[in-house]
Amino acid sequence: MRHDTWLDALAGELRRHGVAPETAGNVLAETAAHLWESGDDPVRAFGPPQAYAATVADSVRADLPRRAQAGPVRLEVDGITKRYGRRTVLREVSLSVRAGEVAAVVGANGSGKSTFLGICAGLVSPDRGEVRVHGSLGYCPQGGGTSDFLVPDEHFVLVGAGRGMSRADARDTGRAGAAALDWDPRDGTQARHLSGGTRQKLNLVMAGLGDPDVLLLDEPYQGFDQGSYLDFWQQVRRWRDSGKAIVVVTHLLNTRDGVDIVLDLGKRREERA
Amino acid sequence: MRKTFTVAETALREIARRRGVLAILVLFPLAFYLSRRDSHLGQSIRFVCLGLGWALSTAALFAGSAARSIEPRLRLSGYRGHHLYLGRLVALWTVGLLLAAPYYVLIRIDTDGVRYGAIGLIMVLTVAVAAPFGLALSAALPRELEGMLVLLIIVGLQMMMDPADSASRLLPFWFSREIGTYAVDHTDGGYLTRGLLHAVVCLAALLAVVAIASGYRLRQRSHLRFVARR
Amino acid sequence: MELERRSQWLRGVLDLCVLGVLAQRESYGYELIQSLHAAGLDGIQGGTLYPVLLRLQRGGQVAAHWREGGSGPARKYYRITPEGAETLRRSAADWESFAGGVSAILREVAAR
Repeated sequence: MRHDTWLDALAGELRRHGVAPETAGNVLAETAAHLWESGDDPVRAFGPPQAYAATVADSVRADLPRRAQAGPVRLEVDGITKRYGRRTVLREVSLSVRAGEVAAVVGANGSGKSTFLGICAGLVSPDRGEVRVHGSLGYCPQGGGTSDFLVPDEHFVLVGAGRGMSRADARDTGRAGAAALDWDPRDGTQARHLSGGTRQKLNLVMAGLGDPDVLLLDEPYQGFDQGSYLDFWQQVRRWRDSGKAIVVVTHLLNTRDGVDIVLDLGKRREERA
Repeated sequence: MRKTFTVAETALREIARRRGVLAILVLFPLAFYLSRRDSHLGQSIRFVCLGLGWALSTAALFAGSAARSIEPRLRLSGYRGHHLYLGRLVALWTVGLLLAAPYYVLIRIDTDGVRYGAIGLIMVLTVAVAAPFGLALSAALPRELEGMLVLLIIVGLQMMMDPADSASRLLPFWFSREIGTYAVDHTDGGYLTRGLLHAVVCLAALLAVVAIASGYRLRQRSHLRFVARR
Repeated sequence: MELERRSQWLRGVLDLCVLGVLAQRESYGYELIQSLHAAGLDGIQGGTLYPVLLRLQRGGQVAAHWREGGSGPARKYYRITPEGAETLRRSAADWESFAGGVSAILREVAAR
């Protein structure tokens, strides 16, 4: 691979991994200097850009100072119990998420993760328990939630109107959200022609429109490739840093960094990281 | 108001993009009309009105089913139930009137000796009733196929049952045949009054079903409380 | 297999080796690799070294600054900090006793 192409790819991947621009600039300059002086082949000396960026991100994040204290409580889930027939799916589940915190809901298939999120969103009624939301709610379902015959911009306008946003504002905010996920929705493809991963991006962008205080995301990255998956966590971190309370349902939690609370529905208890 | 309008506009765009459904929608009443044109003109007028009703109910059924997956999230995004179903109804009524207009013109040109005003009235009432009828069906039957079958049965019955049979008054488009008789056969005003009354009752009942179904499905659950931000 | 074991050993001590070289004089990435090669630690690539330098810098064990590099692009020079020197001193003693233990065992095997 040519040096420049490789370095460009590295720059993109560093951004994707959330490496601060200044640090990334330093890393790129140092890497370029090394390649220039040694004449090494970049792939031989540093490996593929994706992998090297991940290593760099790990190295600089390890000692990152803990970010500012979390804010006031935004989501309070209190003693939720849910039965389907005789089977108790959720028993006395509680969770409290503050502004600027990320909670991951994990557990095996069938442990009631989606049911739990549906209850938080008010789409499913529990048998017992209560949910209090301080502010407004954004919800990203696992699938569905889009309209087949509408293009992405129309989705943005539709959801935006509900949130009291103007047409132009909703469209621009939606497009910006899409760009953060490395997706350009301006070509106007109807939702039914989008790939599964792209449709989930649309779903995710819609959930974030209008700045909700609490975001409930139900395995939103299904169908994402590795890069988009990183973009997704990057977006979660941005939301967190802007003071939102976020709940992510996930069955794979290899991205422990940036998660403040883990609610394991398999074990049914809440752990603070 | 802006929310209802946005839903209406969006629903219109969606319907406009369903080319296949739209084509059937436009041609379907025509087939009804032509099928009876030679034998009995009055019959073909009644049929075209029924065809309109069927076509628009089908469109409404599809629109209602398509909206099912996005409506809960719209509800969470600040819409109320009535914004959603009223917006959709406005869109469907608009489509229905656009659909009916050329048929009204066709009947005006192609026939004489009938009460055109009454025929216009049938068409407006048919459009008014068909939209909530399709939405009510989609609320009751989540799968489009089941809804289609029920529609087929109801409209089939509507054509075959004797309008004089009191049971046939339970069918949503009974008024169409009643006012049709008034328009084509120049019967007394009793037919018109009965038809009008039936249409109004049907419309009110169907709107109530749509509103209640939407209100129930998108209700704010009692376990969830929104508290002002601290 | 042998290569892999070697690189595993190296992973455990590379940061100490880097600190050790920097304790003698300040240096930059490419030159560090050459110094390590000269000391018999070959097979170290940029992709391994620079992340170690980043971690050391984050931890305050080394300090870095940019300096013009003659005809080529600017180089990032590293020098050891007092904290780094302290770490190096403590770890060098640790390593001495650890490596001594390992050597003692392996020497017996080799002698048999």
